[in-house]
Amino acid sequence: MTAAELGVPAPHKRRAWATAKSLAVELPWIWVFLAVVAMWAGIVAVSGRGLLGTMTAAIALAPFLVIVGIGQMFVITSGNGNIDLSVQYTMPLAGFVGISVMSGGSGRAALGALAAIGVGTAVAAANLFCILVLAIPPIVATLSVGLMAYSASSLQAQSFSALPDPGLHAFTVSSVGGVSWLAIACVGLALVAGGALHRMTYGRALQAVGQNRRAASLAGLPVTRVIIISYVVCGVLAAISGLLLATYVSPSVSIGQPYLLNSIAVVVLGGSLVSGGRSNVVGVWGGALFLLLLTTLLNVMNIAVATQDIVKGALIILVLALVGTDQGS
Amino acid sequence: MIVPAPRERLRHRRLHELDDWRQTTSDALPAFALVGMLVCTLVLVPGARSVSGLELLLSSAIPLVIASLSQMFVIVLGDIDLGTGYLVGLANVISARFLESSPEVAVGLLILVVLAYMAAGALIHLRKIPSIIVTLGASFIWLGWALVIFPIPGGDSPGWLSSLMSWEPSFVPAAVVFALVIAAVGYLITNRTAYGTVMRGAGSNRLAVTRYGWSMLRVRVVCYGLAAVFGIIAGLALTGITSSGDPNASANYTLLAIASVILGGGEFAGGRALPVGTVMGAFSISLVGQLLVFFNVSSAYQAGAQGMILVAVLAGRALLRIGVR
Repeated sequence: MTAAELGVPAPHKRRAWATAKSLAVELPWIWVFLAVVAMWAGIVAVSGRGLLGTMTAAIALAPFLVIVGIGQMFVITSGNGNIDLSVQYTMPLAGFVGISVMSGGSGRAALGALAAIGVGTAVAAANLFCILVLAIPPIVATLSVGLMAYSASSLQAQSFSALPDPGLHAFTVSSVGGVSWLAIACVGLALVAGGALHRMTYGRALQAVGQNRRAASLAGLPVTRVIIISYVVCGVLAAISGLLLATYVSPSVSIGQPYLLNSIAVVVLGGSLVSGGRSNVVGVWGGALFLLLLTTLLNVMNIAVATQDIVKGALIILVLALVGTDQGS
Repeated sequence: MIVPAPRERLRHRRLHELDDWRQTTSDALPAFALVGMLVCTLVLVPGARSVSGLELLLSSAIPLVIASLSQMFVIVLGDIDLGTGYLVGLANVISARFLESSPEVAVGLLILVVLAYMAAGALIHLRKIPSIIVTLGASFIWLGWALVIFPIPGGDSPGWLSSLMSWEPSFVPAAVVFALVIAAVGYLITNRTAYGTVMRGAGSNRLAVTRYGWSMLRVRVVCYGLAAVFGIIAGLALTGITSSGDPNASANYTLLAIASVILGGGEFAGGRALPVGTVMGAFSISLVGQLLVFFNVSSAYQAGAQGMILVAVLAGRALLRIGVR
């Protein structure tokens, strides 16, 4: 019998397959970038828009999602069902508070940014109190805290007249060579986050906690502290993104709405494990570009927003179904 | 046989008594909560002190009561359904759009929804993916689908459904009759059928259930199917009450239904299915909402109040446990 009859692939084929397989394991974000290229080509083919214009438009909007997505990734990486469903409500609250502090006078931009960060920290503290002290599962804890933050935003919105800080607004729309400054800053953020996750003790501890909390605790890692830091990072990044987005468009209670599903989607699409323990910063960028280009493609194909919801929901389930097996429930 | 020393024995008995007390308190909690809420309502709202007044207060709770049973069939497995609210909304929209004009289309679409839910259950089991992300993704499918049918609220309720939901028996509020029927049906499924025991077993000890030869896949598919059926009945009840279809009207049912199940004695870890407690929990939580409306609490506070109720219920349960331990 030959190797082919036994169902064994020919040597060179097997090597190619093994290379592809190890590539997929080592670089799980490669698929999402292939999908980005496919979307990009699709948009250009359907609409006849320029290659560069399509991509720069997506890159200009990606930072808001990348910032929240990186925060969400920190929380999801800590494993054990940790997830932050309050980001969508932290964003508008931070936007309202930050902008109203900034409008108090000129030169108060830094103070406003600090206020927004304070909002993010406060939401994270409330989440952590519910999760660590009251032992409420993270899904329900963050959803409940999020609703309280939503009430706070609604109260702010009732008599809100402050205008975004002109200086900060100029920054959110400024660009160099077609690439927005915000996107460049966001690449920097991704590098810092990647360094923190893969090179620093904290990041290593976070991955260990996500892989096996009990083993990490027995090994002497400060499990509680690691979890606290991940929620605070997530809350603060959501707040910063909310402030920037509210300055970029205009403050409203619903600016965070798409970011609940999208922030989780970019983490999942980018090759991080939903069950925690493995994170991928590059993948978050890829996931964000993919989602934005997908929206653009659906828009140029004249597909209604309602149908876009169906497509996105189905897509996330499909991706999970394809990569699911090695993830715990 | 090892006989414990007398002192040991006494300690054992005390522990048992303590356990019994804890169980009784925990089981009676939903009843206490409901009686407490009803007394509060009757004292604070004079208009509620008659059969018709009470009917008005309680009838609006019926869709949530049924939606809570839908959530219960998922929580019993240790899963969570983040799509309950939009599932009810989709059933509400489908029935308001098609049930009168072309009932066969409505029935066909609703069966499709049940099949989709069963498929989601199978997917969660087969690919070992967290239920929250699958149900969150699915919730966007239900919402999008409902918005495709009705971009803005509209439609009508078929006559039989409206008259069923506005039935007014003279001796007792209809809502009480409906609640008893729903609780009885739930109880029959979870506590009076062999498969109900398997469902609870699947939530508390998966290994034991599989060792006894039951398929976990089938249990999940059945539970998600039941969740869809109850979600759809909740949507129909909503159509009967409001006489229109609105994709977003029931969006907050997701969290309120989770709160009802937990207030009713359910556990996030799974293994407990308490339909009677869940029904009482849903009524209590609905009454809190009604009181907020009655006292003209700004709608801005309502979402926060819902979140606070859930945290309070869970914190109370945690305290009860620590106090006994």
